[in-house]
Amino acid sequence: MAKKAKSRIINVRLLSMAMTGYFYTFTRARTALPMSMIKYDPIIRRRVLFLEQKRKGK
Amino acid sequence: MAAAATKNIQLALALPTRLRTFLARYPPASILPAGANAETTKTAYQEEAPNPFMPMKHPVTGRWHDPKYSLRRQAELVKMARDHGVEELLPFTNKGTETRLRKRVELGLRVKGTGVGQRVKGHKHERQLAVKMDKRRNAMLEMPNLIREWKKVGKRDWTKFPK
Repeated sequence: MAKKAKSRIINVRLLSMAMTGYFYTFTRARTALPMSMIKYDPIIRRRVLFLEQKRKGK
Repeated sequence: MAAAATKNIQLALALPTRLRTFLARYPPASILPAGANAETTKTAYQEEAPNPFMPMKHPVTGRWHDPKYSLRRQAELVKMARDHGVEELLPFTNKGTETRLRKRVELGLRVKGTGVGQRVKGHKHERQLAVKMDKRRNAMLEMPNLIREWKKVGKRDWTKFPK
């Protein structure tokens, strides 16, 4: 059986760098660069850096 | 003498049947007839178990046997005897008023884990709370530096991503 084709778009998880475990999810093109942005973390109520989590098993 | 004996008999008859049966089976030395030797005038029950409220090591097999009376029945007998003012006629038991009061003084209304040298275990998230908050605090103290560095490197060239 032929392998299923990988989708062009992937869902990624942007993890708060404040170690609260809070995250945002975004979709991006598989070929694009990993995402990072400054966004609001409601647990500590500040704007902090969010970095894309490395995907497992890929 | 005879009058005193009749009075005692009257008092004994006023006791509940269970208590009376118990005292007949396990009479304390203090209520034996005058002149009787406590060592020789044991009832058959007493021969078997000197204190029916205590576990006993079997003299032959060396195995431990449970008390003749369960803790629940001991407590019932103690309560009954206390109500009739004859508690001192019962053999020693942990359910006795004296032991109970001593324990209460010793332990108070103790909540498990709050005594000396003990600690309340708590839920897992409660046990890990301090570590978690420390991690968060340190991360927040580092945040301005991290953001400065990130801005300097630029998001196109950033390579340090979390696992």
